[in-house]
Amino acid sequence: MTSAPARIILICSGKGGVGKTTLTANLGIALARQGATTIVLDADFGLRNLDLLLGLENRIVFTAQEVLAGSCRLEQALVKHKQEPKLALLPAGNPRMLEWLTPDDMTKIVGLLAERADYVLIDCPAGIEEGFRNAAAAAKEAIVITTPEVSAVRDADRVIGLLNIQGVKPVQLVLNRVRPRMMANQEMLAVDDVTDILALPLLGLVLEDEQVIVSTNRGEPLTLNGAASPAAQAYQNIARRLQGEDVALIDPSKERQGLRARIKRIMTKKLF
Amino acid sequence: MAAELIPAADSAGPHRLRLPAMGLAASALEEVHHALGSRDLRGNLVLESGAWPLTLPQLREIQSLLADRGLVLEGLCAVNRASLVAAAGLGLITELLQPIEASESRPTPQGDDLTIHRGTLRSGDHLQAEGSVLLLGDVNPGARISAAGHVLVWGRLRGIAHAGSGGDESARIVALRLRPLQLRIASSVALGPEDEAPAGLAEEARLVNGVIRIDPASPGWPLPT
Repeated sequence: MTSAPARIILICSGKGGVGKTTLTANLGIALARQGATTIVLDADFGLRNLDLLLGLENRIVFTAQEVLAGSCRLEQALVKHKQEPKLALLPAGNPRMLEWLTPDDMTKIVGLLAERADYVLIDCPAGIEEGFRNAAAAAKEAIVITTPEVSAVRDADRVIGLLNIQGVKPVQLVLNRVRPRMMANQEMLAVDDVTDILALPLLGLVLEDEQVIVSTNRGEPLTLNGAASPAAQAYQNIARRLQGEDVALIDPSKERQGLRARIKRIMTKKLF
Repeated sequence: MAAELIPAADSAGPHRLRLPAMGLAASALEEVHHALGSRDLRGNLVLESGAWPLTLPQLREIQSLLADRGLVLEGLCAVNRASLVAAAGLGLITELLQPIEASESRPTPQGDDLTIHRGTLRSGDHLQAEGSVLLLGDVNPGARISAAGHVLVWGRLRGIAHAGSGGDESARIVALRLRPLQLRIASSVALGPEDEAPAGLAEEARLVNGVIRIDPASPGWPLPT
């Protein structure tokens, strides 16, 4: 790791099911592959599944709760990824935990993580209640992820307002599950419609990709194998932009032909 | 608004002559002349000159004009301190008014106080103001802005706006782009327009015969300056 202070990034959306955990897992792998020491913290301990996506479910012994209680050392609780040793996972707690963490606890644990990483990614729970407030308390910056649907955009807007109040800055936007064909037919909110309302810098566009479902079920994030699928590309580009590289955004209107051809190419690859 | 002559309530008290806000009138002397008109009043008079800067010669002119009509200039009530000094030089009774008191003496239903808020209102936010409100930013869908007076949005209004929340039916809603989910003025409610907003044209909503109507914004500032 470098001597620069760690970047503590909250990944949140307000609405559930828009891709917070998928983004956290893929971004974590992508950053680690690009050489940055990265720790992903699952703050969504009630419905925790970041460990599932990373394929680390069976390796969890301790959580941040035990670290805070002093019953284990941080090193014992950190779960290193099998293929990507620069990536580690820390679950905030276990799903049956009765005592809730406080914002102070989160700040304390994130402070410890920041000492040994370049990036700390916090996977935020859905909603804007206690879980969100806990997770946001420790974050320095945030990535808000949303899909081109009015409900997701509305919830993202609410969350951005709350992040502003908490003083989390900068806040960047990832637009997930973009379907170029539906956008072209105006059946889906256009990229401009979303950025117009949310007024945030766009960190990345992720195209709708069936491979995401496949990889989730396998517990192997798409970015792990440097796959050429559109979503994997998008996640890698987001990681590079986070690192300060200037990578051009894809243009959904030009992606229509290319996408079909690319999916076909991947399908053929999988078959043989 | 022209100068007002307010006759004394009883024979003992002085009459009062209130000059209009500056900038609307040519000179204080002409205003006084105009206000006196052909009315036949006798007795003492207090001049309320507000922010008008009156010099000693000007005051002397006003004094002699009043004297011609049988009125005695007794005192000066003003916001402008220089005018009071000049009046004191003439031996008049002087009274300093605080600018706020001066504005309160004018009957404005929504109050003069203007809240200025910088920044966009996001979903779930609710900005409420006692007087009128000027928002420098957008009102996003799901956000609310309400005021007892006017609602002025220097940006896009896409949420819910309520002007005249205390019941003032003359309150207006003005926005650079007026495409709210819902509009309320006093106790009337209307849905926002569905069609695209005209580009580069600010619009305003007001209550006309109990119905909320949207027109291109009138160029005048709706608040007293």
